[in-house]
Amino acid sequence: MQVVEIQGFNARCEAKGVERTVSLFMLQEENIVVGDYVMIHVGYAIQKMTHQEAQSTWELFDEVLAAESPHA
Amino acid sequence: MSFSAKQWLTKIHDLPLPPKVRIMNVCGGHERSITMAGLRAALPSNIELIPGPGCPVCVCPEEDVYAAIQLALEEKVTLVAFGDMLRVPVNVSKQAVRSLEQAKAVGADIRPIASPLEALEIAQRADKSQIVFFVTGFETTTAPVAALLAQGIPDNLLILLSGRLTWPIVDQLLATGQAQFDALIAPGHVATIMGSQEWAFVVEKYHMPTAVAGFTSESLLAAMYSVLRQLIEKKCFLDNCYPQVVNEQGNLTAQRFLQQTMQTVDANWRGIGIVKQSGFQLQNSQQDAKLQLTDYSKVARQRMGTMPAGCDCAKVVLGNIYPNQCCLYGKSCTPRSPIGPCMVSDEGACRIWWSGGVHNDE
Repeated sequence: MQVVEIQGFNARCEAKGVERTVSLFMLQEENIVVGDYVMIHVGYAIQKMTHQEAQSTWELFDEVLAAESPHA
Repeated sequence: MSFSAKQWLTKIHDLPLPPKVRIMNVCGGHERSITMAGLRAALPSNIELIPGPGCPVCVCPEEDVYAAIQLALEEKVTLVAFGDMLRVPVNVSKQAVRSLEQAKAVGADIRPIASPLEALEIAQRADKSQIVFFVTGFETTTAPVAALLAQGIPDNLLILLSGRLTWPIVDQLLATGQAQFDALIAPGHVATIMGSQEWAFVVEKYHMPTAVAGFTSESLLAAMYSVLRQLIEKKCFLDNCYPQVVNEQGNLTAQRFLQQTMQTVDANWRGIGIVKQSGFQLQNSQQDAKLQLTDYSKVARQRMGTMPAGCDCAKVVLGNIYPNQCCLYGKSCTPRSPIGPCMVSDEGACRIWWSGGVHNDE
């Protein structure tokens, strides 16, 4: 869900038009700002979501191999 | 670059697969995604996807469910619990109250909740009357409860804790050969909290291909592709196919709350027995419902702790049989009138397979 507003340890979060208040207590050592995406479980934000393209180490491995190949 | 589910499927079909490969998942969320997306039918037929121990409700000791029911009935506490605990039946006579739902029907104050924060709200509003929060869950659910305790709870809120850790049961399965599988899909939300590194033992100690997966078809197929290619290339490593939220260390704040408020102890898994260092116990005895109120889990009665007659939930949980190989599945045991916990919980393999349309021994 995307963070819309932060008040202390609570955040208003939104996903697909649904809004709810979640606790940021478990992410208090992270720098969470409005606009960030967080993973929610049982009312608590448990991790900040980051953008990652590769879904498996093999993708990176194959990319490196392809780059090294003279025929690539 | 990032592949679509269709592209991952093509890549898997293009692999030189051995005649039979068994991949176990240990997360009800994974099993739900796999079943609802129909991934089994889309994968090559030599790949078997085995649902393993991924349902905390299914392994919650029968004694603990009985204790929760009795606290609500006999001690007149307000009992709050995650919704899918309410319909788990215990082994008492048909005339007696057999579930939290039945206890509620005869007047006990039982309230289903979806978040530990609701338990706190109920306790704060209740003034002085006693609230007991019956907690079942793996690390992902137990950590928010630890956060709640670390933040401070009122004196009228007690915890009846049946939290469990996932890795010790997988370690036991691998050490004893209780389940036969060739590769592991590690649970994405557990790894979000505890860190992917917690699963390195599967690779280091058992030389088994392992990948952490998320809950989309893309992430699950990426993880399956990864473990299959690890098997084929004989290059075992711990892959992270859910890098959007999983890192090596996990959520250190959450882990600190767990350490501050709970300790790990040997714990009973329903129908399976004691699994070493697999249970959470509260550090503060003042918050522990078992120590502050009558511990009904210890009251001797017939068939305490056992599975219902004919119920193979424990074998399903261990990945020894598929849900539809239990002789009760879909006959006397359905989501409408469940006999075993695997047919009750949204994370139970039986419930998931039934919802997914597997209605007989296919």
